[in-house]
Amino acid sequence: MPQAGLKTIISLSFVLAIGFLLVILSCALWKAYYPLLVVATYVLAPVPNWICGHCANPDDFVESSGAAVLDLGRFCTGFLVVMGVALPVLLCHSGLISTPAMIMSIIGGLLIYGTIISFAMFFQEDQDF
Amino acid sequence: MSLPEERLWRFRKPEWLNSIWVRNAGVYTAGGLFSLAFYTLLDSAVWSKSSRNGSTIHVGFVDWLPFIFSALGMLVISNIEKSRLSSESFSYTGYSSSVAWKARVILFLGFASLAGGMAGGVTVFVLKYVVPGVQWPALGMGVENLVSNFLVGLSTVVLWAAVRILSGGITPFDL
Repeated sequence: MPQAGLKTIISLSFVLAIGFLLVILSCALWKAYYPLLVVATYVLAPVPNWICGHCANPDDFVESSGAAVLDLGRFCTGFLVVMGVALPVLLCHSGLISTPAMIMSIIGGLLIYGTIISFAMFFQEDQDF
Repeated sequence: MSLPEERLWRFRKPEWLNSIWVRNAGVYTAGGLFSLAFYTLLDSAVWSKSSRNGSTIHVGFVDWLPFIFSALGMLVISNIEKSRLSSESFSYTGYSSSVAWKARVILFLGFASLAGGMAGGVTVFVLKYVVPGVQWPALGMGVENLVSNFLVGLSTVVLWAAVRILSGGITPFDL
């Protein structure tokens, strides 16, 4: 893992700001505020993993009850990540938002989620098993 | 576990398949596929009520019913403890064969529900869209129903294979 310092924080916050800019612009330019759901989706996406990681006891890996809870968290996280892409495509297909708004909100959402993930990767404590 | 005389297939399972990384990626992929299935069906429902739908065909509860059965089957299948399926692998205090029998019955119900959901998707597609001769933009709703049920089945397969990778040490190809 590379040394995470001040530069990492600054660049990550820039990427996060650009992501939010793209999503909010995709809403405000066309006066249709459905793509804001993408932000909520991507902010909520790591939450099941986090909750189930705290519920599971990593010691009882043999009886696979801890692994099942972890798998549930991963399943829900995968569900939410794909939802963040599928939701703008759905809205665009039904004519609720336009195609440029769809592209902007997808790119913005992926930037936001990438920021969250890389922040967690750089600055996680040594608690993972 | 991987004794040479127990091997059935000529090709050995590659080593990279047996890592925790592949297992986690498989579980994430299964969640993503299920999400794709749900939003495909939701897309057909939203499109049906939107202004782009010029036809009189609309998505109702009947279109959701196959997906409900598929998802129920997937829930049952992925909640079964897979190591209870073979009665000779675990010998508890005399109950092992009965537990294995119960697990097989419940697993059969799960697979029946999943297959019934897929068949129901085909039924809805034929009776509601093909027989009345619906034209293409509205026909997409029926096609999305088919794709959605197929994706639920695919998600079940991926989840099953991924969970089996490390828990049993058996290849995902034999139950």
